[in-house]
Amino acid sequence: MTTFKTKTTTIGLAIGVAMATLAGPVRADINAPLAALGPPPIPSDNKQTPEKIELGKMLFFDTRLSGDASVACSTCHEPKQGWGFSGDISRGYPGTVHWRNSQTIVNSAYYGKLFWAGSAKSLEAQAPSAAKGGVAGNLEDDIGTARLAFIPEYRKRFKAVFGDEYPRLNNAWRAIASFERSMVQRDTPFDKYMNGDKTALSEEAVRGKGLFEGKANCIECHNGALFSDQKFYNLGVPRAERWLDDGLAQITFRFENYAKGVTQKMYREVKDDAGYYFRTKLDQDKGKFRTPSLRYTLYTAPYMHNGTFFDLQEVVEFYNAGGGENEFSASKTKLIKPLGLSEGEIADLVAFLESLSGDEIKVDTPKLPPYAALPNPVK
Amino acid sequence: MLRCFPKSMRLGGGLNIALALAIAMSFTLPSSNTLADEAGPVEAIKVDAKKAALGKRLFFDKRLSGDSSQSCATCHIPEKGFSDGLALSKAYPGSEGFRNTPTLINTALKASWFHDGRLGTNLNDVTRESLTEDYVMNMDMRIMQERIKQDPVYIQMFKDAGWSEPSNGSVRNAIPEYLKTLTSRGSPFDKGTMSAAAKRGSKVFQANNCASCHSGNRFTDDKPHNTAVPDNPDIWSDPLRHHTYVAFGMFMGIENIFNIRRDVGADVRSHKVDGTDVGKFMTPTLRELKYTAPYMHNGTIKTLADVVAFYNNGGGNDANKDKAMKPLGMSVADQADLVAYLESLSGDPLTSAEHVWKDKIPANYTAIADWLNTPN
Ligand code: HEC
Ligand code: HEC
Ligand code: HEC
Ligand code: HEC
Repeated sequence: MTTFKTKTTTIGLAIGVAMATLAGPVRADINAPLAALGPPPIPSDNKQTPEKIELGKMLFFDTRLSGDASVACSTCHEPKQGWGFSGDISRGYPGTVHWRNSQTIVNSAYYGKLFWAGSAKSLEAQAPSAAKGGVAGNLEDDIGTARLAFIPEYRKRFKAVFGDEYPRLNNAWRAIASFERSMVQRDTPFDKYMNGDKTALSEEAVRGKGLFEGKANCIECHNGALFSDQKFYNLGVPRAERWLDDGLAQITFRFENYAKGVTQKMYREVKDDAGYYFRTKLDQDKGKFRTPSLRYTLYTAPYMHNGTFFDLQEVVEFYNAGGGENEFSASKTKLIKPLGLSEGEIADLVAFLESLSGDEIKVDTPKLPPYAALPNPVK
Repeated sequence: MLRCFPKSMRLGGGLNIALALAIAMSFTLPSSNTLADEAGPVEAIKVDAKKAALGKRLFFDKRLSGDSSQSCATCHIPEKGFSDGLALSKAYPGSEGFRNTPTLINTALKASWFHDGRLGTNLNDVTRESLTEDYVMNMDMRIMQERIKQDPVYIQMFKDAGWSEPSNGSVRNAIPEYLKTLTSRGSPFDKGTMSAAAKRGSKVFQANNCASCHSGNRFTDDKPHNTAVPDNPDIWSDPLRHHTYVAFGMFMGIENIFNIRRDVGADVRSHKVDGTDVGKFMTPTLRELKYTAPYMHNGTIKTLADVVAFYNNGGGNDANKDKAMKPLGMSVADQADLVAYLESLSGDPLTSAEHVWKDKIPANYTAIADWLNTPN
């Protein structure tokens, strides 16, 4: 995986050093300075072509890539809902509910680890786990492969793009990944500002930027051009309320813990999402989630891994109070402290956050090609 | 050949070997040389009543499929002898089936299951297969387990059945226990109340060697044969059915699957190089036929009269057709008697509360109160 490199500015570097010192010896690195967003890294074995992107877009909207042919990627990554899902916790596969907030796919191209807990290493690997997960797509490889073969338009396109005689499911995931890599936003007011247009940010936003990099210390984690260090922290985000009174959500909660192979004791006792812990099985990682990008967040409310906060103001107030408390407070990051921001400063910070989103990204919903009988084999 | 990985994942660990075994297992079939005239009633099987009651509720519960849209009973309908009245079965939403739904009455006495006999272990495996197969119930059994735990009625029933709490394993034991209760009873043949026509038909049955394959109390040798039942073109003309067959074929390791336009049948068990198992299907029971039309693995024959006419013509056309299949020259009267005999092998419908879960099964789940202080 290529990591996206940012230009360094002297000021950013200075702040980075200062923060690193504050954080103590555990942090050897320096915060990457904020920067305009460059082009996303493209893996050498899955180059972008217009035909592949177009095919990926069709597949992204195609419900036939789910078990009961009723949910597409776009069902939970709705263009009109910030390419995510507007509920606190995402809808699930029919008969289920998910247990986390649906993330936007906008700018997902820049992450080295996908999902709130970073469990997928590439978009190519992420897509099948989304399509196949029991509370997401519930698709199995054989039926997915078989369905694609019965859509003549896909046979033609997979042949042209990948040389497949019959569409291979792996190539469907590659095409979807290519489509996602085309879903980036690099012309936000912030990017324009960083690229030299000093009128692109309002005065509030400029003040907010200063707070972000200074007093509020958001840059400690939300840094670089992506506004994410791609590391994992427990901020003490409170547990999802849904689990307390929704039977379906309680089912998924237990399923996720069971499926992720926690100990019997933990399965019985745990009452919150342990996040990154599921990958490392280290107690110190309980309740940690990947720092998300702050780009495009104007459209992606509600916020956090469980959608606990409904607007950016609430998020900033949460940080101002020094984060929160959850079941895993032993692993709560020490980097979050009460900030003592005034109401004006909170408004400035929110204005800055809003400048990290440009226009809403809209696409024409692709027309999906129909099934047809397979022609008889030539004898 | 076997691509067990994705399916086994949904079983919650460690079971992929079992699955591979279940499918690849060699088939030791009981050699039943019993003649039909020795046939008698099917003996009821002893069951654990509590487990069977639990299995009954599970069998009728739609929440046991991935999207909670269908139960076992969606396809295995009690009024239809636990088949569905369709030529080709339904499938999980998004697909359509490519085989006729067989009766489940007496199924517990079989040694290998499905029209091709591909599962030769036990009903526990057949149950698992039905639950998890993507074109049947497409259920991730780990989700199923947690759904069941959300239903207080089940919690109690599992306890009563001697299982401390619901689990995948106990579901796969309880449903077979229920299936064991589905035994034929009360047929004119068993009660000795056959009509005169049926009695004459019994002789026609013997005279025409039907019993060479349809032998024993269940009227089956439990073996595959090629009777050259014609292909059902609806499988290949409907992409929703054909894709299901392709998915099945890929999983079973059928070569050249996209160019196949016939149901290869029992060949999936043996993959014989000379192809002589292609087109063989398991001899079905002849009990409960009154309820289970249309007939054959692909539902291509609508009535028993048509079935008898089919045999009278010596079956269909196929290079590997069983030698026993020859034109029989039965008179019209013989044929009618044979039909009467076949009908006399059907018993009382198993549609009362003894075999059918009659209480409403909720579609939703109530929340566990005081969730925070209740162990999961
Ligand atoms: C049923 C809803 C649902 C469906 C269907 C679904 N997703 Fe998601 N998606 C989610 C949720 C919820 C998350 C966060 C899950 C987590 O972190 O555990 C997510 C996360 C992602 C991410 C990670 C973004 C990031 O910032 O790391 C990507 C990329 C993604 N989905 C793409 C897809 C694709 C491609 C498909 C179709 C193949 C798809 N999703 C289908 C709900 C869904
Ligand atoms: C210690 C690292 C860290 C610091 C410092 C930090 N964040 Fe975060 N931020 C995260 C993590 C991790 C999450 C996701 C937490 C979760 O879902 O449980 C997050 C989530 C967010 C979100 C929600 C994004 C979304 O898509 O849901 C916003 C907005 C946000 N942070 C803004 C800020 C602001 C503003 C500051 C400064 C006041 C700040 N963060 C400081 C690590 C940090
Ligand atoms: C979507 C329709 C459908 C559903 C739902 C379904 N079945 Fe079936 N069942 C079939 C069909 C079709 C066959 C024959 C399949 C074949 O031959 O490949 C079959 C075969 C069987 C057999 C083998 C019978 C024999 O004589 O070989 C058993 C046992 C069985 N099903 C039990 C179940 C159980 C238990 C469930 C619920 C867990 C279930 N089925 C759900 C359609 C269905
Ligand atoms: C060579 C073995 C063989 C002989 C002899 C034979 N059958 Fe069959 N029978 C089968 C097989 C195998 C099937 C299933 C074929 C299929 O599904 O394609 C079958 C199917 C049937 C069915 C349909 C049952 C259902 O549930 O779909 C009936 C009825 C039947 N046979 C009656 C008879 C009668 C009556 C005779 C004698 C005239 C007879 N069979 C002779 C092997 C035989």
